Amino acid sequence: MTSSLKTLVAAQRRRQGRALMLSALAAAILALCAVLLMGLSGWFIAAAAAAGAGGKAAVMAFNYLLPSAGIRLLAILRTGARYGERLAGHTAALNALAEIRPALYRALAQGRPEAALALSSGEAAARLVQDVDAVETLFVRLSAPWAAAAALIAGLGLTLLAGPAPALCLLAAMGLLLVLGKLLAQRVSTEPGREVQGAAGELKDSVAAYLAASPDLVCYDLEDRAVATVMAHDQRLGQAQGRVVDGEALMAALQAVVSGLAVAAVLLAARDAAIPLAALAALSTVVALEGAAGLLRAFERAGAAAEAERRLNMVLTPSPESARSPDPFGARDLTLPIAGGVRLAPGARAALVGPSGCGKTQMLERLIGLRTAGLEGFAIAGTPLARLTPSFVRSQFAYAPQDARLLTGSIADNLRLASPRASEAELWLALADAGLEDRVSAMAGGLDAWIGEGGARLSGGERRRLSLARALLRPSPWLVLDEPTEGLDGPTEALVIARLAQRLARTGQGLLLVSHRPAPLALCDEALGLTDDAISLDRLAAAAG
Amino acid sequence: MPFPLSAHLPAGSRLSRLGPGLFWVLDAAGAVVFALGLAGAVTHLVARDFGGPWPWLAALIMGAMLRAFANFAATAAGARRARRLKGGLREKVFRAALRTPAGQAAPIGERAAAVVDEVEALDGWFARFEPLGLAARISPVLVLAAIALASPISALILVGALIPFALIMALAGMMAADAARAQFEALGRLSGLFVDRVRALPVVLAFQAEAAQAAQVEGAARGVARRTLAVLRFAFLSSAGLEFFAALSVALVAVYAGFNLLGLLPIPVPEQLDLGRALFVLALAPEVYLPLRRLAGAYHDKQAGQAAGERLSRLLEGPAVPAPGGDGLAAPPHIAFEAVQLAYPGGATVGPISFTAPAGQVTALLGASGSGKTSLLSVLVGAAPLSAGEVRVDGRALSSEGSFARSVAWAGQTPTLAPGSVADNIALGRPGASAQTVAAIAGKVGLGAAMAGRAEGLQTRLDERGSGLSGGERRRIGLARAWLKPAPILCLDEPTADLDAKAEAEMIAVLASMARGRTVLIATHSEKVAAMADHVVRLP
Repeated sequence: MTSSLKTLVAAQRRRQGRALMLSALAAAILALCAVLLMGLSGWFIAAAAAAGAGGKAAVMAFNYLLPSAGIRLLAILRTGARYGERLAGHTAALNALAEIRPALYRALAQGRPEAALALSSGEAAARLVQDVDAVETLFVRLSAPWAAAAALIAGLGLTLLAGPAPALCLLAAMGLLLVLGKLLAQRVSTEPGREVQGAAGELKDSVAAYLAASPDLVCYDLEDRAVATVMAHDQRLGQAQGRVVDGEALMAALQAVVSGLAVAAVLLAARDAAIPLAALAALSTVVALEGAAGLLRAFERAGAAAEAERRLNMVLTPSPESARSPDPFGARDLTLPIAGGVRLAPGARAALVGPSGCGKTQMLERLIGLRTAGLEGFAIAGTPLARLTPSFVRSQFAYAPQDARLLTGSIADNLRLASPRASEAELWLALADAGLEDRVSAMAGGLDAWIGEGGARLSGGERRRLSLARALLRPSPWLVLDEPTEGLDGPTEALVIARLAQRLARTGQGLLLVSHRPAPLALCDEALGLTDDAISLDRLAAAAG
Repeated sequence: MPFPLSAHLPAGSRLSRLGPGLFWVLDAAGAVVFALGLAGAVTHLVARDFGGPWPWLAALIMGAMLRAFANFAATAAGARRARRLKGGLREKVFRAALRTPAGQAAPIGERAAAVVDEVEALDGWFARFEPLGLAARISPVLVLAAIALASPISALILVGALIPFALIMALAGMMAADAARAQFEALGRLSGLFVDRVRALPVVLAFQAEAAQAAQVEGAARGVARRTLAVLRFAFLSSAGLEFFAALSVALVAVYAGFNLLGLLPIPVPEQLDLGRALFVLALAPEVYLPLRRLAGAYHDKQAGQAAGERLSRLLEGPAVPAPGGDGLAAPPHIAFEAVQLAYPGGATVGPISFTAPAGQVTALLGASGSGKTSLLSVLVGAAPLSAGEVRVDGRALSSEGSFARSVAWAGQTPTLAPGSVADNIALGRPGASAQTVAAIAGKVGLGAAMAGRAEGLQTRLDERGSGLSGGERRRIGLARAWLKPAPILCLDEPTADLDAKAEAEMIAVLASMARGRTVLIATHSEKVAAMADHVVRLP
């Protein structure tokens, strides 16, 4: 169900249809009122002057009530229409964006996991926040053609009163403005718009990379280097923005020049018409051409929107969902591509052993559905992993990774990731089994204590134990623990292992363990060596002891 | 209200709004020329004087051109000004974000948003709001003076309508400020939340919690939408009010001029208009309000700028890791921790603890998880808050030096990598180190074999996650970097974590040769590492 941005936008256009229609309608009324107001005012003054010059009788015959009331009515209508257009348009756009953002996160989660993991943090934020903002124009500007059309129609109607020639002048000027505007926008706005989006993303990326490095920065005098790199990105962004502004200014200049020439032409073309009508034609021409401003802005922003769309589409990669899955209940046996294929019965407890860097962690990540490449030889209940859906595969495992990867939030936020509906008692039980109960109850706020960014307020060992408690809360058939006791002192490690053994005996869960430390291996019945020289558990323990 | 960041801007930055501001005034002058041309041309056409209108038509076109130029120049000059001021601020904000002490810092996503988005939010303030504020004081007076020359009473009517105009602008400004602040906070939260949840995506996927996390992102995104709408509603409402009064006063002038021409005014006035004057006044009437409406249009820029400015000044004036000051130490020093106590906001404390690390020897800190080993090391470089006690390095007190970072070579649990090659990241320890030196050190810490297996060897490009490297390889980069740095103090945080027994033994040999000629502090759990140390400090 992943999709390109186009389909997301199309769906939102339908969902926000009412507000968008309201905004288009208001835009059309606005343009109509603006043209009529200026035209009527010009006509009124010119006609009044003619009547004034025509003597007492002409003055008495001149109906001033109707036009002056009309002028006031149009002024009020115009104000209301402008308010309605802006509010409806922005409401639709903002609501659409608020739904597109989480949809993007979902797409990210459903895409190839490798692609999601490769996104660096700053880039991801830039994509979500900035690129989606740039897409806003796809909604806000939907009313622009309606406004331009209404302005043109009103303008043509009024200029026709002064004769066909002025109306033709207006038509030609509008055509010229739009064609030149489009061409100019392509030349001066599209490319810089694209570049601003790209440069802003790179700037954020670079900033986030160095912010993540802050503790090492002081020791290696990195600050100036970091500032130089970031400011080089800033420079590029600034230059691109400068070109965008130049483009906008050129577009405004184009509009002013075309409008000045058009008024001169209309006045000349209307020289044979009655003076009030000539004034009406000239003034309504100015305002009718202003009605195209929204459309010109849409031309300008098209470049940035297209670039944002392209970048977002890169994130929206199709998901690898392909195969059918057996029903997700009950424990099943696993097959791992070790020594020609090892089968683990449900409830088995095995350790993966091998020297540093031989790929133990990667093997776990493949097994639990976090990688889609290199799945040959893996199977669950005899079905090759490649033929199972990621959601089924993931449902089989409760995982505590080597780097704890905690959420920024509270203790409870992290634990409930594994089990959203767990009671407080269950959370405390899991914390107790991970040997973290005392520490958490001593924290201000207990379960609701804030642990900082990625758990920055906890020590390395506490982060691991919280990650372990999180895995314990998930009632999956297999527990997958990557270095669960690293960073723990001896007594704490012993406590954690003892409680883990009790818990496994109670739940009957299977265990897959990676550990360099010998103590946790006591939990396992067998050791699977990833290198050719398979080591027995006894020898391993002996070597370590 | 003074701009919250004015203390952080260079001198003369306020004066620089003159450039773009005066171009906006030139735009008003162009409007006067245009109106003059229009009135003159129409008057001559009325008189059926077809030779006469040419100079007036020329003035009309000239006026339009002048406006086009002034608009162009004002926008471009404003953008240049904003770029200059933003660049200076961004550098300051980035430095402040880098120096926020660990444990007190907002999430990376939020700080990155401050450096990028919130500085960007000041664009409108510098480029438009300040220059337009200047023009809003000069242009209306200029246009009113031109109108007064043609029709003093019309000018009076327009001046009268300026009063409610100013009231609305002031009112809207006050009411929208809070809403704008709330919007920026929501935007910062959204950005921070998303970055965090993407970073944690592997566990989110493993626990199949993507729907719940997406719902959280949705909640934050809706919060941003709701708050943005609240801000916009104020802005639209006030601009509607302004537009209404502008339209009303133009209509008033039109009706007055019409009645004056008809001679139907109920009260006698001391002026009699002709068509030319009336048209001139009518064409110029909207121009009286245009500068104020432009300023009101930039009110969103003002609020965005004000809100961002307040948040940025908190960051700029907040606590900072002291810059590594003073001279580096030449010889391995004697380090004394005297009743050291560390306190983090939120209540976590470490200590009080006392011990000494003798000059040129290896001291291992052993202790239970959470006993504060890493914090005790980072206090030396100013990255942890010393709340009581003292650390003396060859007698020099930490509390007066702030940080000994210049003299410390640091290798942490998860060394932070900067985008660049593996060799670049190692060379950070000694800028300008030759490729041979880097390769030699890489070999000594055992990176040589691992990197030889890659096509580009030590030139392999890394991103800030160190994607493609194992945890052990990353830590070895950190060790190589620390080895390379010519610093007399070496701090090692869990150098043998995640290593098996064989690799640990090899690592201990590496550590022993690294330690030569330095005062070394090692935070560790490993009894084997402790066994190689000259002194062992067991933390309670």
